[in-house]
Amino acid sequence: MNLSRPDRAPRLDALAAAYALGTLLGRTRRRLDRIAQTDAAVAAAIRGWEWRLAALTEGMPGVTPPIHVWEGIRKRLGLTGEADSPRPGSTRWWTSLSLWRGLALAGFALAFALGILLLAPTAERPFESVVVVLAGPDAKPALVATAERGSRYLTVKAVAAQVPPGRALELWMLPDGRSPVSMGLIPASGIERLALRAPAGALLRDIPALAVSVEPPGGSPTGGPTGPVVYTGRVERIY
Amino acid sequence: MSPSPTDRSARLAELLARTALSDQAAYAELYRLTASHLYAVALRILREPAAAEDVLQEAFVSIWHHAGSYSTAKAKPQTWLTSIVRNRCLDQLRRREPDTVTMTRDEDETEMEFETPGPTAIELLLAGAEANSVRDCVERLDGSQKQAIALAFYQGLSHAELSRHLRQPLGTVKSWVRRGLERLKACLEGAGFGR
Repeated sequence: MNLSRPDRAPRLDALAAAYALGTLLGRTRRRLDRIAQTDAAVAAAIRGWEWRLAALTEGMPGVTPPIHVWEGIRKRLGLTGEADSPRPGSTRWWTSLSLWRGLALAGFALAFALGILLLAPTAERPFESVVVVLAGPDAKPALVATAERGSRYLTVKAVAAQVPPGRALELWMLPDGRSPVSMGLIPASGIERLALRAPAGALLRDIPALAVSVEPPGGSPTGGPTGPVVYTGRVERIY
Repeated sequence: MSPSPTDRSARLAELLARTALSDQAAYAELYRLTASHLYAVALRILREPAAAEDVLQEAFVSIWHHAGSYSTAKAKPQTWLTSIVRNRCLDQLRRREPDTVTMTRDEDETEMEFETPGPTAIELLLAGAEANSVRDCVERLDGSQKQAIALAFYQGLSHAELSRHLRQPLGTVKSWVRRGLERLKACLEGAGFGR
């Protein structure tokens, strides 16, 4: 079948549109794929539709992928050099007393943050069952993380977070007596949803607090926090 | 403050160019700036976090190897990246299905899967349209055309799945999709977009 013939143009266009939209199935899809490898006109028709339609995804809200995706990519490509290496000799900050003192202060921020949630315009906001207000040493809320108990997403809203240029913010669970566990990169502005590997209620059951550290773009290269911890917050359960 | 779309495109194009030269820092930055958008696209089509993570990983491995081919492409960087991810998603989705148009999922399961959190497909279509100043073109579609295209595009439904979901004969949804796309194309091209 020579799809490039001028009289076949409408048929080619319809096939290319279905291909890009995703409604073209199995065998036909693979066949068109094969033809496109050698026929420039077919390839161009498909590309035209892909681009026309891909532009429609621009308004979509982002969802931060789990941190292990990036780690897996680096591993598969054998990338070793990271723009930033962990700071030598950094202390195990999550054991420090000032962190826990900071958490107590941050508790005051909770009332404020709940006020924000209640003022939000959505009338049918589902009942939030886990709330974490992350604040810096000044106890002013920087980020608010919320999730329904059964949800596999944590919604992180940046209230007044700051990130140094060219760096990223990474969110950590702080289990009692064990090393921090990454929950993924979070934005310094706007709202983002982090995918969780278990429902929020179960995942955070034994987690007293969360923290945010400053990391290289793409997240901590070591699997543990490497940069300074800028925000912390106690996990509050509201059932 | 978030950068303007033009600044962002220029930045992404630069990062792609540097990635083509095996610049790891640029590649990491590219991931940081685009992964959440691309993951959202994959998640919506595949509906399973594990599958979406796999696709994202494969896509970025491929981007590392083929970033150099971007310079010849005539699309915005984000559009180029989105196409890579969407194609992998669609290939994976279609691989799960037999070649024939037999439905393997039962109705309840299909209904349940539509309760994905977040905006509906139609809202996304309009949001995307707004972002591209082509809202008029989308608005000009009939309600049924708009719905069929949005479900196919954002949730990866096939014609057969659309037919079941919308409770309409297969031929009807096929023609909604086909006519909707024809109109969309004519309108977008009239607006100087998409060429």
